[in-house]
Amino acid sequence: MSDTGVNDTIDGDVARYATAVRAAFADLPGPERELLLEDLEDHLQEVATEAGGPLEERLGRPETYAAELRASAGLPAAGAAAATAGRARPRLRESGVARRLRRSWRGTMAHPAAAATAEFLPELRPAWWVLRGYVAVLAASAVLGGLYADDGQGVRFPVPALFGSQLLGLLAIVAAVVVSVRLGRRGPATGWRRGLGVAGNAALGLFAVFLLLDLGARTAGDDYPAQLVTVYQQASSGLRADGREISNIYAFDADGRPLREVYLVDQDGNPVVATHNDNPFLDPRELVDRDGKEVANRYPQAQQEVDPATGRRSAVPAPEFRPPPGPVRSP
Amino acid sequence: MDTTQLLKGVLDLAVLAVVGERDGYGYDVVRRLRAAGLDGVGDASVYGTLRRLYAGGHLTSYVVPSEEGPHRKYYVLNDAGRARLAESTATWRAFTDAMDKLLRSEGEVAA
Repeated sequence: MSDTGVNDTIDGDVARYATAVRAAFADLPGPERELLLEDLEDHLQEVATEAGGPLEERLGRPETYAAELRASAGLPAAGAAAATAGRARPRLRESGVARRLRRSWRGTMAHPAAAATAEFLPELRPAWWVLRGYVAVLAASAVLGGLYADDGQGVRFPVPALFGSQLLGLLAIVAAVVVSVRLGRRGPATGWRRGLGVAGNAALGLFAVFLLLDLGARTAGDDYPAQLVTVYQQASSGLRADGREISNIYAFDADGRPLREVYLVDQDGNPVVATHNDNPFLDPRELVDRDGKEVANRYPQAQQEVDPATGRRSAVPAPEFRPPPGPVRSP
Repeated sequence: MDTTQLLKGVLDLAVLAVVGERDGYGYDVVRRLRAAGLDGVGDASVYGTLRRLYAGGHLTSYVVPSEEGPHRKYYVLNDAGRARLAESTATWRAFTDAMDKLLRSEGEVAA
């Protein structure tokens, strides 16, 4: 036999063996298969040249070789890969970052606290069903423009209006919660319904988060419109004249001279007291008589104002009346 | 005892050690493992292990062109590979120490 003959035999053996091995990797995507088998022929060639004799004698059957290569490369066996095709991605393609993420996720979930939380989470499902129904009505109300009060400042909360009626909103909430709980108890849907359900849940969840943030922004002190604070100060003085809130009383004699100290009582002799003690923005100076007793009905009241932003107190200056008020006679 | 079974558990470590000693291409690593006394190691297992370590980011590679034979893909241990080698070596040492102690006392009982 000539040299060429030997080489032909070797080449033929290598080609046959390589083809048989490659057949066992037909389930892998092209690039991955190539990465795994790129120097298969070179390897076989080297073994054949070195050892002489058929490759099977030295390396075993091609199927065994393929199975060994798969196993050591961390791939599932050929049959198993076919069975789970499309589900379990072969690990060979996983990047280092993905691998680390997966490992740290597993590590986190292995912690007892994380495991206990994961176990507990499904128990919150019924609570979500109830919340979901409520949020759905809020969403409907927002779409129909009934969520915010007419002045655009306040929120009709917790009961939104539907078609201008909060009673209708309340009824809708009851109905939506019942439907939502029934849907939840029915268990996960299948097919396109499942996709619809996931999308709906996600949308309502997002809307709930958005609504919370919006409510937070509207009620945060910093964003409170200045005129609302003023209204609050006046409303809590407890003093009214002609049905309108007033914050203090100044007395004058018939000649227009201001009276520094008057004591007001009502028709029963009870002191007329301003009740803004609970107003955090107004701080009446404590009024005491000579015996140290509180005199709450002395006017004009000395008042202090608290700046809501800085918390600093300052005396409310007495208004200047020009010309000095005198007797007011009905026409 | 079947050496092949034992090898499965430590082939990663063996391959890392060989490549860490000197860069090598697939069949070169097979030969050096055999020369070191690991006769039972299968060619395909070594190739697969190299691919897995490479995909896992423990090895890098470069190709050496050759005029006569095929171009060869040489594998190199990188930092991650060196760290893994050190870690696995420590584990291996602890394991063999424990086994040694265990077998020594076994031997005394038998004797």
